[in-house]
Amino acid sequence: MSDLFRDYTPLPDTWDEMFAERAQPRAPFADPLEVVRAHTPDEYEARQALAEQLLLEAGVTFSVYGDAQGTEKIFPVDLIPRIIAAADWDRVERGLVQRVTALDHFLDDIYADQRILAEGVIPRELVLGASQYLKEVRGVKPVGGRRVHIGGIDLIRDGDGRFLVLEDNVRTPSGVSYVLQNRLLVKRVLPEAFKRAHVRQVDQYPSRLAATLRSVAPVAADDAMVVVLTPGMYNSAYFEHSFLARTMGVPLVEPGDLFVDDDKVWLKTTRGPERVHVVYRRIDEAFLDPTVFRPDSLLGVSGIMRAWAAGNVTLCNAPGNGVADDKAIYPFVPDMIRFYLGEEPILDQVPTWTCARPDERQFVLEHLDELVVKAVDEAGGYGMLMGPQSTAAQREAFAERIKATPRRYIAQRRVELSTCPTWIGDERRLEPRRVDLRPFVLSGADGVWVLPGGLTRVALPRGSYVVNSSQGGGSKDTWALRGATEEGR
Amino acid sequence: MNGLISRIAEHCFWLGRYIERAESSARMLMVTSQLALDTALEPAELWLPVVIVSGEQGPFEERFGLDQAADGELVQHYLTWDADTLVSLKQTLGAVRWNARAIRDVISLEVWETLNELHVWMGSAAARTTYEKRRYDFYRHIKRQLELVVGQLRGTMLHDDALEFILLGVLLEQAGQTARTLDVHHHAMSLLEAQTEDPLVRAMLWVALLRACSALEPFNKRRRGALQGDLVARFLLLERDFPRSVRYAVRLAHRRLVRIRPPAADALPGGQALAQLHALNTWLEDLDPASVAGAGLHAALTHVVEETASICTLLGRELFAAGAEQ
Repeated sequence: MSDLFRDYTPLPDTWDEMFAERAQPRAPFADPLEVVRAHTPDEYEARQALAEQLLLEAGVTFSVYGDAQGTEKIFPVDLIPRIIAAADWDRVERGLVQRVTALDHFLDDIYADQRILAEGVIPRELVLGASQYLKEVRGVKPVGGRRVHIGGIDLIRDGDGRFLVLEDNVRTPSGVSYVLQNRLLVKRVLPEAFKRAHVRQVDQYPSRLAATLRSVAPVAADDAMVVVLTPGMYNSAYFEHSFLARTMGVPLVEPGDLFVDDDKVWLKTTRGPERVHVVYRRIDEAFLDPTVFRPDSLLGVSGIMRAWAAGNVTLCNAPGNGVADDKAIYPFVPDMIRFYLGEEPILDQVPTWTCARPDERQFVLEHLDELVVKAVDEAGGYGMLMGPQSTAAQREAFAERIKATPRRYIAQRRVELSTCPTWIGDERRLEPRRVDLRPFVLSGADGVWVLPGGLTRVALPRGSYVVNSSQGGGSKDTWALRGATEEGR
Repeated sequence: MNGLISRIAEHCFWLGRYIERAESSARMLMVTSQLALDTALEPAELWLPVVIVSGEQGPFEERFGLDQAADGELVQHYLTWDADTLVSLKQTLGAVRWNARAIRDVISLEVWETLNELHVWMGSAAARTTYEKRRYDFYRHIKRQLELVVGQLRGTMLHDDALEFILLGVLLEQAGQTARTLDVHHHAMSLLEAQTEDPLVRAMLWVALLRACSALEPFNKRRRGALQGDLVARFLLLERDFPRSVRYAVRLAHRRLVRIRPPAADALPGGQALAQLHALNTWLEDLDPASVAGAGLHAALTHVVEETASICTLLGRELFAAGAEQ
């Protein structure tokens, strides 16, 4: 009988999500994976090809920046799911609720009384000197009481299988549409395996998101006019913007569709102006309002920040959140949890050196070949040095950058990201590839909710640790399993 | 929400126009390439009208010279694949997909998938092979997928203003397209008809015109096979119950615009466009069939083409730019 897993061998010193050892799936996942195991390479390849064809036909694509032709690519999907056992997921879920709650408190605090700075828990200059700290926001208390309505918290797993927080995304985290799309795809292409696994549902996300957005409106939730604000169809995440608008049943608007009058936000329609109460903005705050941020910018909605400050519109996420996902602030999140919630952090995070501090900077400069250095205000895998894989020339160049603007850099040990079996078309077999996980957390007036699972991104090139779609990353469906008590729910 | 976002309304309208334009063009190329197989006509007599109806006489003459219209393969390639003309099927379907993508959240999943699949297919090797080996199937595939889309629009979308704007675009394009096709072909065929006594050749010309408008069987049902130029022209212009006749398309377009912008709602934008469409509809309703014989036909069709173009301009000014000056 055919055995697709016969030669699959996890990497040394690395946690494999699915396999305990060579050809042996972990016990809770063995049963659903039996269905996959029985495929011949030809059969499996046919399923993978079908999946890619379905994505292309459905137009599930992202736009490639710097391509004048407006080229669109599919975000590659690998069909082997990433499965998370029920008990593991429960813990992650509690840890995420705790973390996002603390980040929300932190933002409320630093834009008001700044207690945490006064008590010296976090160095004042680190917060107030952050490029994403917006002094215009100080004193504004957003309607609905929340600032991190939609959070995307990136998790990785170390060699012992421990979940660690790698970074927080509390501005405009993206990727949730791929979670829902991957699920539809896997249900169509691998229905037998899916059925046997008892996976928690994800398709309630759009209605949960809509309820969250309505709950923080300046008017009664039922009367709230919610819109999704996109920079436009050439944005790389446009598919997701339109997907969310469509699945929530709310209008997708561009900045030019909105205007502000009397500190209220209005939509231009064929029957004249209509009032807007909640803006789920998928547009960087630097381009949100030219009267506040970039007078030279033609983008944005003039006056929308005043309307927000006046409490006439809710912006999701709140402007000014960037300071909370600044990588130089990240080392202090466990302290925030203790300070605001009086609890010990449930989720660990990666030990981090802050180059703003002279002694830590010295250590970083002396160990560049062992560390991963990241710019504090960049994302998407840009502005980073992977020390162990770098050349001497790259390290030298980076050392100069660190010395020039130390506040901009932090360093971490490279964590041996966990792996997951991934189909390698050129080899016609499964090989371990490194993955991370981005769960999505919604916070509204009624509490905090975590989408079961999240987006698993996979670094497709052999030996790669970079999972970003712009740099050769793909994705997988993530199966958070139901606990024993949840059977049949 | 009561109104439709003005920018979305414009995308809807153009989506409808491009869908209709592509379908009409695929149909015309399909019919003409079939006719070319067994007709007694000179190739130029067959293909030049196709170039003219597509509005490409000037650019085509500049690039190839009008005598090249005798090269049916060149004309088909130009109107199917050419990247430099906005009216080739490849470009028109690109415009369809571009507008659809801009309103992904407004159109139904079914509509999007059909349009996107067609767009992907047009860029595939399979489409090239079909074009080379089975020309009729190639055009028929495009025509059928677009017919499917129009059905899906009605069958799977909420019947709100977004759909009204899409169908308004389809109908106004249809009225203009039928009028242009009829004008060009009627003129060309009347000249040819004068040169031949053969009733079979004469009949075949009118059959081709009817086919190019998907009107052959409906016409036969009404006229019981009496094929005369004037009757065909009258049918395509004034038939009350045929969806592609000019009168029918304008009547329905008027109804759609009334729903979008009720006549009594004086405070709403769009009053001028509505008044002009109302006038065109009334004019067509009252048109005396006897007055559209011979030279009167050309005058009537020119009026329709000019009025529909002007109504489209007014829609742009009054509805799609609504609120822009605020």
